[in-house]
Amino acid sequence: VSTDQLRPNRPSTDWPRLLLTVWGVVVFVFLFAPIIVIVIYSFNRGDLLVDWDGWGLHAYRTFLDSPIPQQAIRVSIVVGIISALLATVLGSLAGVALARRPGRWSVVFLALVALVLVTPEIVDAVSLLPWFVELGDGPLPAFTYGTQAGYLRLIVAHSLFSTAVVALIVRARMAGIDESLEEAASDLYATPSRRFRQVTLPLMFPAVLAGAFLSFTLSLDNTIISSFVSLPGATPWPVYVFASVKSELRPVVAAVSTLMLFLTLFAISMVALVLRRGGDSSSDIARTMAGGG
Amino acid sequence: MRTPRSALAWPAWFWFVFFFLLPVGLVLLYSLGYQENAFKQIPKLDLSNPNWGNYQKVLDPDYFPTFRRTLQIAVTGTVVCLLVGVPFAYWLAVKVPAKWRGVLLGLVLVPFWTNFLVRTIGWQLILSPQGFFSTFLQNVGIRDEPLAVLYTRLGVQIGVVYNYLPLMILPLFVAFDRIAPELREASKDMGAGRWRTFFQVTLPLAMPGVAAGMLLVFIPLMGDYITAALLGGTKGSMAGQLVASIFLSTFNWSLGAAMAGLLIAFILASIIVFGALGLVLRWIVRSRRRVQLPQGVAG
Repeated sequence: VSTDQLRPNRPSTDWPRLLLTVWGVVVFVFLFAPIIVIVIYSFNRGDLLVDWDGWGLHAYRTFLDSPIPQQAIRVSIVVGIISALLATVLGSLAGVALARRPGRWSVVFLALVALVLVTPEIVDAVSLLPWFVELGDGPLPAFTYGTQAGYLRLIVAHSLFSTAVVALIVRARMAGIDESLEEAASDLYATPSRRFRQVTLPLMFPAVLAGAFLSFTLSLDNTIISSFVSLPGATPWPVYVFASVKSELRPVVAAVSTLMLFLTLFAISMVALVLRRGGDSSSDIARTMAGGG
Repeated sequence: MRTPRSALAWPAWFWFVFFFLLPVGLVLLYSLGYQENAFKQIPKLDLSNPNWGNYQKVLDPDYFPTFRRTLQIAVTGTVVCLLVGVPFAYWLAVKVPAKWRGVLLGLVLVPFWTNFLVRTIGWQLILSPQGFFSTFLQNVGIRDEPLAVLYTRLGVQIGVVYNYLPLMILPLFVAFDRIAPELREASKDMGAGRWRTFFQVTLPLAMPGVAAGMLLVFIPLMGDYITAALLGGTKGSMAGQLVASIFLSTFNWSLGAAMAGLLIAFILASIIVFGALGLVLRWIVRSRRRVQLPQGVAG
C-alpha cells in the first residue's frame, strides 16, 4: 500500500501533478516533433525535401537505385561495427583495470579519459587530419594509401571517444560487483584466461553490451571528425548528408533516415531485452544505455 | 614475472596517447608559430620564435564576437535545458506510475539515439519560412508573415536546446529516482508544503544530477558545429565553424590552432567557475540550514 493512499482527505484536483503531466506531454511533443516530421517527409513525392508535393514512395525507390547513398550507408555500418568492437575491447579492459587495480596510475588515466570526453569534436578533427596525413606519408602508409585507408582513418577516429565512454561504463559496473567472486575462481584453480572468460566477462556483460551499442551509435552519428578525415571512396552516411545539406536536400535523405531510425529502435529494444533478462530494472537499463554508468 | 592486472589498461593508454595526446598536442604547438610549407599540405612547425600573437589575434573584432556568441548560446542553452528538464525529470521519476516509467524513459532515449544531423534537418523543415508550420501559423492567423526563425540566433538556440535536452533529462531522472520517497514523506509529515519539500529536500539531494546534466549539455554544446551550420546562417555561427573554416579555407594553421586551444580553455575555465559557484552555493545553503540531510541516500 503506497503512503499516498493512507493519507486522508486528499484534495479532489491535484493541480501540481496535473501541470507536471501537461509539461511532460509538451516536452514529449517537442522531443518527437522533428523525428515525426522527418518520417512524414520521407514520403514526399517532390524533388526537394522541403517542398511537399504529395504522398508517395518515390524516395525509397530512389534509394534502391542510387549507389552513392547505398555505399555511404555501407561505409557507416562497416566502420561502426569495427570501431565499436575496437572501442569495446580497449575500453572494457581499461574499465576492469580501473575498477580492480585502482592506484596512482588510475588517477592519471581517468584525467586522460576526462580530457578525451571534454575535448570538442572539432579540436579532435583538426588534430587528427594532419596526424593521419603525416603518418600516411611517413611510417604508416596504410593511413593514406590503398583502398582501406579511408576506413582505417574513420575507425581509429571514431574509436577514441567511444573507448573513453566504454571504460567509464565498465568501471562503474565492475565497481559494484564484489571481487571475491573472481578470487573464488582463482582459488578453484581457474587459469587467469578462464577466470576472465567464465567469471569476469559474464559479470560485466551488460555494461560491455551497452558500451558496444553506444559506441556503434556514436560512430553512426559522427559527422565533424568524419568530414575532416574521410577520404574519397569511403564517405560515411552523415558526411554524405552534411554535404547534401550544403547543396540540395532530397527526400531520399529522409527515407534512409527513417529506415535507420527503425533499425536503431529495433536494436535498442534487443539490447534492452537482453539487459532486462539480466535482471536490471528499467531505470537501470536506461541509465546503462545512456552511458551514465 | 607476472604482469600486473592494471596492464589491462595498457592498450587503451597507447591508443589515447598515440591518437589523442600527440595529435592534439602537436596542433596546439602550431599555435605558437609555424612556417608556410609550399610543397606539402601541412605547414612546417617552426618554434624558433614562439609567441602568443595568434591568441591575441583571436581577440580581434573579426573573431571574438563569434566566441562571445558561442559562450552566450551555450550558457543560455544549458540554463533552458535545466529549466525544461527539472520539472520533466521530476514528473517522470516521481509522479508517473512505476509501470509506465520504463517505457516513457525509453521514449526519451529515442531522439538521443536518432542521428544528430537528421534531427537538426527535421528542425530545418519545421522552422523553414516556406514550411508547413509557417503556413499553418499564417492560416490560423497567429502570424501575418512567414516564420523568420531559421538562420537566426533563435533558430540555433531552439536547435541546441532540442539536441542536448536528453543529456540533461537522463542524469536528472537518475538523481530524482534515487531519492527515497520516505524523505519527501518525512518532510511533509513535519509540516513542509510541496514547494518547501521540493526546494529544501528533493532538489538539494538531486544536485549531483543537476551538475552532471549541466556538464553533459554545456561541454558538447561549446564545440557544436552542426546545429549552428544547419540552423544558424551568418547571424548564428559558432566557434566550431570558425575553427573549421580557418583550417580548411584559409589554411592559417597557427590561428586555427590558437582558436582550438582557446575553445578548450573556455570549456575548462567554465567548468572551474561552475564548480566554484556550486561549492559557494552549497556552503550558503548549508550554513542557513540547521538540519543536515543524510548524504548516502542521494547515491
